[in-house]
Amino acid sequence: MGLFEIIKTANHNLFRNKVRTFLTILAIFVGSFTIVLNVAINAGVNSFIDEQTASLGGEDYIMIMAEGSVSTLSTMMGAGNSEPQEYDPNQTMTAFTNEQLEKLKNIDGIDGDTIYAVKQAPVEYITSDKTDKKYTISVGAMPPGDFSIASTAGGLPDNDSDEAQIMLEPGYAEALGFGSDENAIGKTVTLTVLDNVTKQPTSFKAKVVGVQAKGVVAVNGSVISRKLEDDMVEAIYATMLKTQSRDQLFKPYAVQARFDTDKYTEQEIKDHLQENGFYGVTVSDMMGTIRTFFDVIMIVFTIFGGIALLAASIGIVNTLLMSVEERTREIGLDKALGMSSGKIFLEFAVEAIALGFWGSALGVAVAMIIGNIVNVAVHAPGGFLEAFPTFNLFEFTPSNVVPIILVVMFIALLAGTAPAWKAAHKNPIDALRYE
Amino acid sequence: MEMNKVIEVKNLVKVYGKRSAAFKALKNIDLDIYEGESVAIIGKSGSGKSTLMHLLALLDKPTSGTIKIEGVDSTKLRARKLNRLRNRSFGFVFQQFFMNPNDTVLENVMLPLKIAGTKRKARRELAKSALKTVGLEERIKFKANDLSGGQKQRVCIARALVNNPSIIFADEPTGNLDSATGDKVIKLLFNANKKGTTLIIVTHDEDLAKLCSRQVRVMDGKIVEDTGAKELKKATRAAAKAAKATKSTKDTKSSTKTAKKGAKA
Repeated sequence: MGLFEIIKTANHNLFRNKVRTFLTILAIFVGSFTIVLNVAINAGVNSFIDEQTASLGGEDYIMIMAEGSVSTLSTMMGAGNSEPQEYDPNQTMTAFTNEQLEKLKNIDGIDGDTIYAVKQAPVEYITSDKTDKKYTISVGAMPPGDFSIASTAGGLPDNDSDEAQIMLEPGYAEALGFGSDENAIGKTVTLTVLDNVTKQPTSFKAKVVGVQAKGVVAVNGSVISRKLEDDMVEAIYATMLKTQSRDQLFKPYAVQARFDTDKYTEQEIKDHLQENGFYGVTVSDMMGTIRTFFDVIMIVFTIFGGIALLAASIGIVNTLLMSVEERTREIGLDKALGMSSGKIFLEFAVEAIALGFWGSALGVAVAMIIGNIVNVAVHAPGGFLEAFPTFNLFEFTPSNVVPIILVVMFIALLAGTAPAWKAAHKNPIDALRYE
Repeated sequence: MEMNKVIEVKNLVKVYGKRSAAFKALKNIDLDIYEGESVAIIGKSGSGKSTLMHLLALLDKPTSGTIKIEGVDSTKLRARKLNRLRNRSFGFVFQQFFMNPNDTVLENVMLPLKIAGTKRKARRELAKSALKTVGLEERIKFKANDLSGGQKQRVCIARALVNNPSIIFADEPTGNLDSATGDKVIKLLFNANKKGTTLIIVTHDEDLAKLCSRQVRVMDGKIVEDTGAKELKKATRAAAKAAKATKSTKDTKSSTKTAKKGAKA
């Protein structure tokens, strides 16, 4: 009797008592269903958070300030984790000196080539030829490195291009009269800046290359190409530049850079900076407690799933024990006709695994159907995630679904071991005589 | 014609329970069964006849003593070989049939072959031909449950024949049947016996027992009558007489002694 034969026999036996098998599969189904949804929501939330992290600059992004500017800038940057800061007259925004910038380039773990100053280019208003209205907007260029910002249309400006480009914040495409985010792509918007001193306006045309998706953490406004940023800064400081040197005026208060995430932890990099009189803020600082909040929710979900699965395992034990009792004579006959204890054990073990397989496969299938329906529903008009189009509440991948099926099959095997053992070690004569 | 011993039992003891609750179901049984014999093990309920059959069929383990099957000491066999021996050499017919009621007739008959690991196609062919032997080839697709008692027992005989066993054990094969259907079943069993299969029937039915070539009567765990032993005695006496003429008397004496011992036990 080969393995294939045993698997066939086991399945055949399961479907002999349909009601009991169905109820057990239902119990396993509920457990697996809960766990699959939990894992899928976990994956969905995590990939959303990863997307947010990427939008804020990525794991290796760090914003560096001179030690004196800490409270001011960290309050500016911090999302969610800012505590009341005591006033300190010495703590004002202090610009980097040239020596400090040189020193920064040589700090262990900081990629010197990626250091890019945070520039101050306040835009007075934005408008387009599709509307008469003017809107306030904050803009900034992105530092070098791999970036992705979740978008509903298009993508990030090309920093190597001389063309003035902009990736709009959520909501602006509609306000500026383009109708939809997709329609805005390739259209032109007008950004107006004022001279620092004379308040003389200068307008810049910029091509819309993308529209950001709404996230839980605010990205620093709309993203513009570096060339555009530089041009706007020139216009804003036009009058001042007549009397003051460029070096003096454009000293940065903060710089952005990338650090080596393979060699150092965030804390180590921060320590390196602190030793040299700098202060670093990473993306996780900006994300603040959001991640912890989601993590706690996930732990609760997992506990529920685990309890459901435990209940299902007891169901498996029960089903198989009853099956052993019911089929005692049959087991006796099998043994009388020369079937080995091992094969009988295997048959019942395979039955348990089959129960686990059918229950979990069904759980996965239904969870996927329901999860995908919910994903569509929450993004429909009026749905609670309507505002976050890139947030897929449930994410199903083979790598999170297949292990669940395997784990449930394994749990089923463990649960089925005791009844299988009982069946295998029956004395053929006692089993045959069983009433 | 030389007779081969298919079963050779020496000093067989079976005790159920332990210490004060111990019950000696079989008391030092010696029994030889020869190839092609039809043996009836007769006795009242509680006499130990069923226990004896279970031990002969290797369905249970003796407390002490040896059972040699075709010359092989079964008490020294490991579980795997024991299973194979039962699967290949024995056929079973029980009073309560013991079928899988929701399986088809064919599946029930194929069971021993399935356990043996016979290929699917061969399994079907052998099972079909066994069913033909018992006259149920028309019923192969029926559920075992839907058959009459007599038909069920015939399916069981087909199941017992399908692996072409050297010994068929039948435990009260007609116990649950009326006399007409019982006769049919008995005929089938003796047909197999005529073709050379050793037949061991456990029964309390004297009429059925008389149909067998040899009767072994069991009472209180002991063999109280064995017609085979008488036959053997006669045969040995005849042999002894013949031998007296040619050989020395020493050999004859010792062989008569063993025969006597067998009859006594």
